[in-house]
Amino acid sequence: MAELEDSSQPRLAAGCRWSGEGADRTLVFPEGALRLQETARAILERCDGQRTFRQIVEELTSAYNASDPAKIRHDAKTFLRRLQEKRLVDF
Amino acid sequence: MLPSPLAIIAEITHRCPLHCVYCSNPLQMASPASELKTSEWEKVFEQAAKLGVLHIHFSGGEPLAREDLCRLVSAAHGRGLYTNLITSGIGLTEARLEELVKAGIDHIQLSLQDSNATNADWIAGTRAHVLKLAIAPAIQRSGVAFTINIVVHRRNVDHLEEMISLAESLGPQRLEIAHTQYYGWAWKNAEQLLPTHKQVLESLEVVAAAQKRLEGKIRIDAVVPDYYARFPKACMGGWGRRQMLIDPAGVALPCHAAAVIPGLRFENVRDRALEWIWRESESFQKFRGENWMPEPCRSCDRRTEDFGGCRCQAFMITGDATATDPVCSLAPARKLIDQKLERVNSAEEKSLSAEDLLPIQQENFWVYRPQPK
Repeated sequence: MAELEDSSQPRLAAGCRWSGEGADRTLVFPEGALRLQETARAILERCDGQRTFRQIVEELTSAYNASDPAKIRHDAKTFLRRLQEKRLVDF
Repeated sequence: MLPSPLAIIAEITHRCPLHCVYCSNPLQMASPASELKTSEWEKVFEQAAKLGVLHIHFSGGEPLAREDLCRLVSAAHGRGLYTNLITSGIGLTEARLEELVKAGIDHIQLSLQDSNATNADWIAGTRAHVLKLAIAPAIQRSGVAFTINIVVHRRNVDHLEEMISLAESLGPQRLEIAHTQYYGWAWKNAEQLLPTHKQVLESLEVVAAAQKRLEGKIRIDAVVPDYYARFPKACMGGWGRRQMLIDPAGVALPCHAAAVIPGLRFENVRDRALEWIWRESESFQKFRGENWMPEPCRSCDRRTEDFGGCRCQAFMITGDATATDPVCSLAPARKLIDQKLERVNSAEEKSLSAEDLLPIQQENFWVYRPQPK
């Protein structure tokens, strides 16, 4: 199984894309769809295959004015790994 | 308020170059002359998008048998719908695949009938296996999400490990391993297809081991055989709750098999708006929610998980569509399922003898699904 490193550039997996706009924005993928909570969505919308995982964590830390970057890092990592297991995210 | 359907199964034709003995198409297939026209499907997709539908599953028959498939995919994609092609691969060329990708296909599901050509072609009733293997690499290279579908039953489940290896070599992101569900042609062939208890247990182990081994590489979704389960499946995610099926002639159904239930009037998308059919039509309301439920379902804690199981199965086995799904261990009619399983399991040694795998010499072994007329 792939490891999520600081230098990894996570991206949506094949066949996984956004649908709809605004509050209705939904992640659609083979045989399913997810309407994500705000933070989960903030993580995933940054997974564009360009930003590194380190950059994503930095952006989230400043966007949420978070006092505990280590926790953000940990939560984002857990979340992305889970989506990778479901083959919704590649890195 | 009633939520919108999440997905529409667009059964765009019942024509198919394959004759699979486990096919879930109804025994009364829609004739080619009755099929909805391109513009009629386009109207359906427009209405579906407005209704809040997310997925369109292009199914059949073989969807590629329709020459306008790319136009249909493009119409659905243009409305923002997620497009899924469920195919045997027969009729798919690299050129057509390229057109489909341009049209906006999101996901392709390719079926396999077995790991070796002889058996696979026997099950499909035609020489298809080698053609499937020939087109699979192009699907993999296209960058479209790729799923391999394997339907398992007594005649192929002993090759499940080999089938998984074959699927793995074709490079999909996802693998669907579904035990046959007994409707349509599969119901007609149930006695030949039902696996033995031993086979079911072994298959569950094989699937669990593969899921572990392929974690993060191939996602494996498995459908268990409900005849061997203690509780029924949440059929279609509940009647009229998540999905709608539109048959080739435009008839809107709550599931693949619903037309077997007598006394239900099904609406046609040619005559009625999709939203009205979903919200107001008698057939979609008939078994929606819990009011129709008998005991023991009505007071059962599981009723919000399985929604009372499958109405078609209840009718096919007990003659009463409102009966508790007979696969449920709490159902009064469970003994009818047990009797079937007893016949299958006691005949095990005999039916799995070597001659069985040389079917060509056997006449009337099972019923192949024909072409619609």
